Amino acid sequence: MGMSTKQQMIAKWQQWLNTIPDCFLKKVITELPRLLIINVLCTLLVTFVIRNGSSLFENWIFSNAIGASCYLLIRGVGYYLWKEAPPTVLAFYLLSVTMAPIGFVLGSVIGAVLFSYPITSVLHFQSKFIYAFITLTCIISVVAAWSFWNKIQMTELIAIAEKEKARNASIERQAMQAQLQLLQAQIEPHMLFNTLANLQGLISIDPDRAQHMLAQLIVYLRATLSASRAENTSLQSEFTLIQAYLDLIAIRMGKRLRYTIDLPIELEQEKIPPMLLQPIVENAIKHGLEPSIHGGTITISASKNNGILTLEVRDTGLGLPFNYEDKQVLADKSKLGNTNIRERLFALFHDRAAFTLRPNTPEGTIATITIPMAR
Amino acid sequence: MELTTSMSTQHRPINALIAEDEPILSATLQRMLNKLWPELDLSCVVENGFEAVQSALTSMPDVLFLDINMPGKTGLEVAQELAEEWPIDKAFPLIVYVTAYDEFAVKAFETCAADYILKPVSEARLQKTVQRLQSHFQTRTPNVQQPDTGTDLERVITQLRELQQLARPTLTGHPVMPTEKLAVIRAAVGNNIRMIPIEDVIYFEATDKYINVVTAEHSSLIRSSLRELLPQLDPHLFWQIHRSTVVHIKQVKMAHKDEAGKITLTLKNSDDKLSVSRVYAHLFKQM
Repeated sequence: MGMSTKQQMIAKWQQWLNTIPDCFLKKVITELPRLLIINVLCTLLVTFVIRNGSSLFENWIFSNAIGASCYLLIRGVGYYLWKEAPPTVLAFYLLSVTMAPIGFVLGSVIGAVLFSYPITSVLHFQSKFIYAFITLTCIISVVAAWSFWNKIQMTELIAIAEKEKARNASIERQAMQAQLQLLQAQIEPHMLFNTLANLQGLISIDPDRAQHMLAQLIVYLRATLSASRAENTSLQSEFTLIQAYLDLIAIRMGKRLRYTIDLPIELEQEKIPPMLLQPIVENAIKHGLEPSIHGGTITISASKNNGILTLEVRDTGLGLPFNYEDKQVLADKSKLGNTNIRERLFALFHDRAAFTLRPNTPEGTIATITIPMAR
Repeated sequence: MELTTSMSTQHRPINALIAEDEPILSATLQRMLNKLWPELDLSCVVENGFEAVQSALTSMPDVLFLDINMPGKTGLEVAQELAEEWPIDKAFPLIVYVTAYDEFAVKAFETCAADYILKPVSEARLQKTVQRLQSHFQTRTPNVQQPDTGTDLERVITQLRELQQLARPTLTGHPVMPTEKLAVIRAAVGNNIRMIPIEDVIYFEATDKYINVVTAEHSSLIRSSLRELLPQLDPHLFWQIHRSTVVHIKQVKMAHKDEAGKITLTLKNSDDKLSVSRVYAHLFKQM
């Protein structure tokens, strides 16, 4: 019960702190409770250990005045000297030790004023215990400074860690989202229904080809569905999937589509993320060859050089749109697909992977993915 | 069925055009139509949007089966071009759009009551379409002799306008283009790039693969299509007035309407005259 009220109070206090904008004042307010506790400890020390003869209340007022003076001097001068940039530990201690005696005298004067004591007599009285007091103030300042300094470092470290965490979370989220969108885009209803329509027609016109088409559709569906769950796939299975896809499209497009697939045997077992190459092939069909009157050729190849795997999709279709700039990110579906590919590559390989689109000659587009090879 | 038989004995058979780029689908549709409507003349079968327009304008069919996603021109673009070019003394054909599964397209077709069939085509569904077409020809004598009262054409134009607004990206088969507007047109002139501020453009005229950008001083070609360019222009300033013309509206001096109802624009800084197609004539009604 007591614990929970304390926790509630702390929570409320922190809530209130969060409403204050980040500034010097906020720092001071944040550190205030700690300062007050240290001042109470000093009071007890002076009254019962040093025994200067003054009352507990009087010592408490003086302790607060001296503590506050030291604190404000150290913080104020520190802020003036270093602004927001944190100083080195040594510089901060040096500052604390130099400011402590000044704070001591200043605090004593404030105390004297508060109790309407003559300032000189108070200073004279204090001077009897001067060494004890100055030493005490210095020790306390350094200890307090150390604790405050650590606190600052801690809060800053926590802030940095939280920022980093948020950034990672957002990257992860983006990657997940990109992946999700890719998966949703995978088996397009349009593609599926068009294929089924062709199959429906072929069954009565050419049953053998219908059989073949059905078999390829099954390969395509199975591979697409299992690939969307896997973390890695081999180039061989990715190329099988692409082969099935292109076979289906070739039946649909008839003589308008020619395709070549080139996967060197030694690269067959190479691992790549699934659904990376296929969306690019689908884009080449959808935006390059399908809308082209005379169709064209699509060539898919893989090669390896200096530990870098290069996947290339080359088509002779319509080519990149007017004003196309490779880096632009637009609310355009085809480019959204490209953004997805880039985001996934970045999430997986950071800047060691790349995806580029450039014009093919005389017509069409060349899409290239380069990724570092495992090991 | 009795009805069609009696009709076909009185007139030359009703003829249809099929525009479908996928050969198997085209063959399938022909086979099904042969079965459901044996009297229908299916001699006009084409594989892309360009051929569809050419073939329709030469053979003047009574029915068009237009695939939406075709190379060259989409089914909607074909319909628009035909609506612009169709001779006024001939009845405008009935259009049936054919599309693979696409919920936006279906919604759009339903909203503006355009006839459509979905791929894979079910025989029962096609039967309904055939019946609808047949009953239409029952009330309207097909072919030449009778000039269109304009109702069919008007209906198609209204439908087209609605369809274009409802589902441009899906129906035209092209992705939504950038919303960022062009400030300057960069046109290659020999080895130089001519920078044309967009406000200097009087009009754009599309040819096969190029767009002619006309200013008061010169005209320059850019390699693009209106389909790509239009989304990058401010729709308040640049009005499409024809499938191949986009005019800077502040450059228009006057819209002149002749006896046949044809609208021609005269311009402020050019002697060129631009004709407004039927599809866009509504833009120039008085306020």
